[in-house]
Amino acid sequence: MVVETMTLEVAQASAEGFKAIGAGLAVGITGMATAIAQFAIGPAAVGATAENKETFGLVLILTVIPETIVIFGLVVALLLLF
Amino acid sequence: MFEPQTMSKLLIAASKDQLEVVVRELYRHNLFHIEEFVESDAKGLEGCTIGMPLPGASESSSDLVRIRSIENTYGVSPRSMDSDEKKMLTSQVRQRIERELKTIEKDAAAFSEEKITLENTIREYETRITELKPFTVFPANLADLKGFENFVVLAGRVPAHVSLGVPNETFISAYDKSNLLIAVVPRGDAGEAECELFEAGFQAISIPDENGTAGERTVWYTHEITRLEKELEGVSGRIFAQKEKNAAFLVACDELLTAEVERAEAPLRFATTEETFVAEGWVPADTVAKFMSDLQLATGGKSFISEVEFDPIEEAVPIEYHNPDFSKPTEILVDLYSRPHYKELDPTILISIVFPIFFGFILGDVGYGIILLALGYYLRRYLKDGAGQQLLVVFRNVSISSIIFGLLYSEFFGFALPWDPIGINRHLLIGSHASGHGPDVVLMLVLTVWIGILHITFGRMIHMYNASKMIKPGHHRSKVVFGQLGWILVMWGLLLMMWSLFEMPLMPVLAGYPAVYAGINGFGVAGAILVLVGIILIGRESPFELMELPMIISHVLSYARLAAVGLSSVAIAMVTNYIAIELIIDPQLANLSIFGVIIILVGIVVFLIGHTLNIALGVLGGGLHSIRLHYVEFFTKFYKGGGKKYEPFGKLRKFTED
Repeated sequence: MVVETMTLEVAQASAEGFKAIGAGLAVGITGMATAIAQFAIGPAAVGATAENKETFGLVLILTVIPETIVIFGLVVALLLLF
Repeated sequence: MFEPQTMSKLLIAASKDQLEVVVRELYRHNLFHIEEFVESDAKGLEGCTIGMPLPGASESSSDLVRIRSIENTYGVSPRSMDSDEKKMLTSQVRQRIERELKTIEKDAAAFSEEKITLENTIREYETRITELKPFTVFPANLADLKGFENFVVLAGRVPAHVSLGVPNETFISAYDKSNLLIAVVPRGDAGEAECELFEAGFQAISIPDENGTAGERTVWYTHEITRLEKELEGVSGRIFAQKEKNAAFLVACDELLTAEVERAEAPLRFATTEETFVAEGWVPADTVAKFMSDLQLATGGKSFISEVEFDPIEEAVPIEYHNPDFSKPTEILVDLYSRPHYKELDPTILISIVFPIFFGFILGDVGYGIILLALGYYLRRYLKDGAGQQLLVVFRNVSISSIIFGLLYSEFFGFALPWDPIGINRHLLIGSHASGHGPDVVLMLVLTVWIGILHITFGRMIHMYNASKMIKPGHHRSKVVFGQLGWILVMWGLLLMMWSLFEMPLMPVLAGYPAVYAGINGFGVAGAILVLVGIILIGRESPFELMELPMIISHVLSYARLAAVGLSSVAIAMVTNYIAIELIIDPQLANLSIFGVIIILVGIVVFLIGHTLNIALGVLGGGLHSIRLHYVEFFTKFYKGGGKKYEPFGKLRKFTED
């Protein structure tokens, strides 16, 4: 078994590595999730603004709502790394 | 401050012979926001109709159209022109319109036509050259391919050599990855030949109607284009000279005639009867007295003006901002969202202070700040209209904030300044100089969460204030006010509970006190009670809002972007420095060679590209995230907006005077 041959240094190093992978996944996957959500909202928002400029404030809000997902991912990543 | 300009509603009534005088006076004051008269819902003015334009409206309009068309030809725009020190007299402008407009118009039309003809010819010749291109491999005169009675000429591209089954004379030559094929076949066999060719993947090209070889004709057309372009340059030069000569006159005409047209059309917005007219509108309250007396003076007392009572909440009062000078430019950010309602708190001042702080917190770097400052100063030359200038002032403020935060963070293009960071350390452990304990990520996150808690609590409190001003006293108002209080209680109750369970940096330590109930100490229980009371208050306002309870956490945590986005920008800066300097430039400097100098130049390019991209990202990130925190997290707590802009009837004159 691999675990039996693992020294303390190796274990610590792999812990570090897994942290980095976890942080990467946290940002990457949440980023994709945000992108998928904004993919639908963005064009609709642009269309609405083109029709009526006054909706800009409202559609900006609607567009950036999914951004919260990736920010959470980023926060989790930062907490993992530091 | 915090409130829009106080407005008064005025009603002006007079007999129709005073119409022109009144309109002229209103226009001159540039204060009266006309409330458009709509026949279908005239309250108190039943039976009135909209007025007719003043005489001369159509002449002025048609003159204006002519002027605008000339302006278009010469590329003159009154908006982008600075006003001269010496303004033109209107009488002079009028004389010149009579005397010179025809000539100027004729010149402009001639220039415009000449320019268009030249451009069209050039375009046509360019098309000809494209058409000739495939035939440049054909050495004979193109005219020889035309005019046969008994033969048909087929020309086109084929992927490979083809041998036709009918009698033919064929030319084939490689051209642009395929082959040009010109086949001459007897008219009787044409159908069969075409079939064979199409089977071989033949794409027909029409043979240009030219006399000479394709090469010769291409050279001729190229020469012609060069000649015509020179001619066009000449025309453009003459147009430019004419523009220089006439621009001042044209913008003055534009201004004068626009004013005339606007004045002439004003009665269309008034209510009229056979003999009288009534104009309703708004003026800032502090100008009412002078405005009324001036109008009385102008009409010789033959008009009736009175201030009308109005309902500040129900009626659509036009909104003019009323802010101290330093926060005026920020009005554009509020306008982008929506103008405040008349009785609503105007948040412009808050944004003008908090927005630059957020931006600096994210993009705190002395070097970037200086570059942005310079960029803003440079852009001043190009953005001359009101909104552009406002944006640039906001841009300047955020750049300065960025420099100040850069000094605190001790950052200069990602390098450390000679002192240690004050308060917060954002230096990541990148590169060989990295030392110390790394960035204070947890500290920054907690700090930003604090900012969020306070910002949101403040927003909820403003909602309570707005409700007390905008909703009539009664049951509904108290529900709204207590509902907002409920939101605040839930948020702080949750905080109390968390503090009673965990110790966190920068937060009060309430853990470790003796447990009161179910292992939770007194603070925790108090927190739980607050949450419960809060939920009841929210539910009383509207049970549906309870669905939004998780928003408390998501909105507060959303402020963590201030830390996160900022750190990512520092990381990009430091990585750029590491790659450009430590990996590329430093090793070459150790033992310099000619080849090494090239590598060093590459390193410098990497450095420049990296930081340029990071600045662009920083402005986008810093600006968008800061404004988003205002629009989404802050404004949704209290701001309704929807006020209409105060647009007084009249115009500040830039180019003319009486």
